[in-house]
Amino acid sequence: MSFNLDPKIPAGPLSEKWDKHKFEMKRVNPANKRKFTVIVVGTGLAGGSASATLAELGYNVLSFCIQDTPRRAHSIAAQGGINGAKNYPNDGDSVRNLFYDTIKGGDYRSREANVYRLAQVSNNIIDQMVSQGVPFAREYGGYLDNRSFGGAQVSRTFYARGQTGQQLLLGAYSGMMKMVAKGKIKQFTRREMMDLVVINGKARGIIVKNLITGELERYAADAVLLCTGGYGNVFYLSTNAQHSNVTAAWRCYKRGAGFANPCFTQIHPTCIPVHGDYQSKLTLMSESLRNDGRVWVPKKKGDTRKPADIPEEERDYYLERIYPSFGNLAPRDVSSRQAKFRCDEGHGVGPTKQAVYLDFRDAIKRDGKEVIAARYGNLFEMYERITADNPYNTPMMIFPAVHYTMGGLWVDYNLQSTVPGLHVLGEANFSDHGANRLGASALMQGLADGYFVAPYTISNYLASTPLEKVTVDDNAFKDAEQAVKLQTSKLLGIKGSRTATEFHRTLGHYMWDYVGMSRSEKGLKTALDGIRKLKEEFWSDLKLNGDTSDYNLELHRAARVADFIELGELMALDALERRESCGGHFREEFQTADNEAKRDDENFTHAAVWEYTGSNSSPVRHKEELVFENVKLATRSYK
Amino acid sequence: MATTNNMTLNLKIWRQKNQTSEGKLVDYRVENVSPDMSFLEMIDVLNDQLVRKGEDTVAFDHDCREGICGMCSMMINGKAHGGFKNTTTCQVHMRLYKDGDTVVIEPFRAKAFPIVKDLTVDRGAIDKVMAAGGFITANTGNAPDANAMLIPKPVADEAMDAAACIGCGACVASCPNGSGMLFMGAKVSQLALLPQGQPESPKRALNMVYTHDTLGFGNCTTHAECEATCPKGISIEHIARMNREYLKAAFTYHEKNRSEGAG
Amino acid sequence: MMTAAVNHYFRSSIGRKHLVAITGLLLCGFLVGHLSGNLLLLVGPDAFNIYAHKLISLGPLLYVIETVLALVFLVHLYLAARLNIENRQARGKYTLKTRTGRGTTLMSASMPYTGVVLLVFIILHLMNLKFGTNYQTQVDGVQMRDIYRTTVEYFQSPVSVAWYVFAMACAGFHTAHGFSSAFQSLGLNFPKYYPKIKIISYLYAVTIAGGFAFLSIWCYLKGV
Repeated sequence: MSFNLDPKIPAGPLSEKWDKHKFEMKRVNPANKRKFTVIVVGTGLAGGSASATLAELGYNVLSFCIQDTPRRAHSIAAQGGINGAKNYPNDGDSVRNLFYDTIKGGDYRSREANVYRLAQVSNNIIDQMVSQGVPFAREYGGYLDNRSFGGAQVSRTFYARGQTGQQLLLGAYSGMMKMVAKGKIKQFTRREMMDLVVINGKARGIIVKNLITGELERYAADAVLLCTGGYGNVFYLSTNAQHSNVTAAWRCYKRGAGFANPCFTQIHPTCIPVHGDYQSKLTLMSESLRNDGRVWVPKKKGDTRKPADIPEEERDYYLERIYPSFGNLAPRDVSSRQAKFRCDEGHGVGPTKQAVYLDFRDAIKRDGKEVIAARYGNLFEMYERITADNPYNTPMMIFPAVHYTMGGLWVDYNLQSTVPGLHVLGEANFSDHGANRLGASALMQGLADGYFVAPYTISNYLASTPLEKVTVDDNAFKDAEQAVKLQTSKLLGIKGSRTATEFHRTLGHYMWDYVGMSRSEKGLKTALDGIRKLKEEFWSDLKLNGDTSDYNLELHRAARVADFIELGELMALDALERRESCGGHFREEFQTADNEAKRDDENFTHAAVWEYTGSNSSPVRHKEELVFENVKLATRSYK
Repeated sequence: MATTNNMTLNLKIWRQKNQTSEGKLVDYRVENVSPDMSFLEMIDVLNDQLVRKGEDTVAFDHDCREGICGMCSMMINGKAHGGFKNTTTCQVHMRLYKDGDTVVIEPFRAKAFPIVKDLTVDRGAIDKVMAAGGFITANTGNAPDANAMLIPKPVADEAMDAAACIGCGACVASCPNGSGMLFMGAKVSQLALLPQGQPESPKRALNMVYTHDTLGFGNCTTHAECEATCPKGISIEHIARMNREYLKAAFTYHEKNRSEGAG
Repeated sequence: MMTAAVNHYFRSSIGRKHLVAITGLLLCGFLVGHLSGNLLLLVGPDAFNIYAHKLISLGPLLYVIETVLALVFLVHLYLAARLNIENRQARGKYTLKTRTGRGTTLMSASMPYTGVVLLVFIILHLMNLKFGTNYQTQVDGVQMRDIYRTTVEYFQSPVSVAWYVFAMACAGFHTAHGFSSAFQSLGLNFPKYYPKIKIISYLYAVTIAGGFAFLSIWCYLKGV
């Protein structure tokens, strides 16, 4: 099978590509739209906004989510904000500026045209969300307020307290509910996508599992939109929600969708450190805290004094020291790595020595407790609830944690994967963030894809593709369903001794230790061996009770872990093959004298796209060369 | 972050196979509970024991585990989310309990929330109320510039207070009347406060209240137990604003049936 | 749905609560008038009897007022009972349910019970006093009913006084929650004023319950 990796970037100047493309794309006339059905899997910012918009246009939308209601998708947990190039603060921001920051932040491993379009529609997103009643923070004059985020020297982040993701998601959800009431969206909750159905080379449906009854269900459509988020839970511990998983994307990969840059993982610098083996998740503290918090470690190794007892001259404010112009607002990959270096050198604090301080002492002294409480009160409360420490009196302890995956299913400029008809939106695709995502850009991308990109490109696909009539009784559906059934009975038949969670946790250790913040050839090979062995053990020693006739949570979990193990292997393989350091991908062999990432633009200015070739053969690595016509590739410097 | 002093807890958990079967409280004992664990992690430990013993695990809803998705529920010792101020179950930590404590865990119960299994309930009624009017009809592409409409900061802040609702249903579960007024009031109030929400305000209030009433929710008698248990601290002032909106709408809203006309 | 929703008001949760609130507040107003009149007991038999006589002399107008009052009361009673039955069906049946202590109060939780006590009380109250022994007297040559005597006589029994004081305590509990709750139901819970409304609600409850209860004890002590 040959892989078509043509990005289909429209010709012309960068700033005119999207307008030109919108003009040239085919449209479906309003009366014909009701003849098409579109499946949208996932109801986060990407899925929710796409479902609502496609339904408004007149398409019949079938919407699926894994939770009990669309409003709980994990976009809801984003705290800090959403970027927009409005330039309201008059600090010189522009579409080009946001584009440039995003390309540079991604360490020149993303596609210029996609990122420019993202920056272009960013302003429409802010307008759209305000009109839907999202209560963004405002000034006394009634105008919108902005704050700054990492990797930018302008204030372009719009926010709704520490709950921006929640407010945006509820906005998208409300749009969905409006169309549910009108009957244009059929909503299916507590469903998990188990397979993609491809007929005549086109995505024409899905197989889902009803999580409550355990039954498999078939749904046919004219196009499938995958909006299932990222796969950070492959690390077992991450800031992702418990249900976030890779299964839907993974099954698409196995049906012929290319998986791009799977090793590009974002490790967020400000999370609450791990404190026990039983731990199920890591909690993020918003990056906005770095606007006022100062990050430091004791200069003395193994210093066990209380933070308050360490005098100013014995503290190393290492981000301010190393990156004077960005200081505590250095991008996430850089900040995370520096925290790891400090801890590796023995400067770490806290009981595990795997933490650094994030200190508000000076900010409280400067602005007063009330001002700080107004800005971060809810985050401080959250921190205290989890750790029993009060950040007003003692610095927070933070450590990096897995947060976001830049990698994902490969898509062209139209957000279509290598399987025609399968479009991938939001975190589930690989498109806009390169090797590192800047803060407040994930919300922007999810909504851009769902509100302003996919609705146009889906129409183009539907208008220009011959779509033969299919029903759920077609053999392709039967075969796909049979494959899922087979896998399920295989899982139930193992009757081994180790639980799915145990396997997942072991996988997480491999991933964090060898495919985490710092990677090396030796480590990656260890991980590959370990994960392959783990896969064999999983399929011979899994302990599982019950059957498929019930709400069997362990069975659901086991199916996800099976896919995570395979993904982990691919991630290690991808990291091994990318013999350079860039963004969140740091290979110890490729670094500058002062421990910064060293890119190899000559050999690696491309997206690595993996093709599945069967369970018994190795996946094939393809390349989409990234062409930079508008920005000059430079060594990223935040100094 | 002490990791010593592990505790043992005696749990009484509601087990019910499905919506139609009978349920009962079943006793469990969980050892080695660390004070730093979250309540849900403690249930994870129990479920791990159950899997190893070949028994069916306790079904409970949870997702983000950071207090924002609204999926976790549970009546802990008779109180929604454990009854701690501004806290969801996933943010309850075991340091709030003592070694040897007996903890009773039941699902969120209400006529409008049928039990799915064990501690899992169906809160789909909340979506139905939202679909009846919990939105502003602003189709994609219509929006004027975000700063075209000025909203005073106190108004935006108050709308945000209401918008903070996570749709967990604790208000319904803890209400002695099984009423859904707080989550509904929060949405009606948020959109009534904002200028964007004005055009549809009367219709929204009428339709949402009507739908609420037909789904088996009870009536508000101002106990304010909802406000006390709301993990986001949403005030019953928002119920009052909805009552106001509803009163206004019921006596003034009128819509004639008109033909849209062919052009 | 729209038409149904517009016509739903008098069957709706909120619409019926509005009616319970309005009728409740009207009854609260009646109690103020009733207590003010009863305070004339303290002035003396003549003053009280003249007051009562003037009311009776209203003739047909009195019947109209009484009918309206009875209707207000019946609407309040009927809707509150209906809502209560619905609410019992709507709420979850828990094995264990405790309160946070920050919401439900004894006053709000006991509304249906204090309501039933008040219903029984009102029936007995009308039987024992309004329709009680009809003594006659003359004040300044005018023949009139000696309702003063009926009242004071009734309160000579410690059981009557105890029952009356208990009923008034229930009235206090009922109005302490009901008065402020009515404002909430009618949407008049503005953050700026609501704390004051709550205080007024408690003051109202104490005054009404205390005032009536005091008069019953005063009658007992005063003797015939």
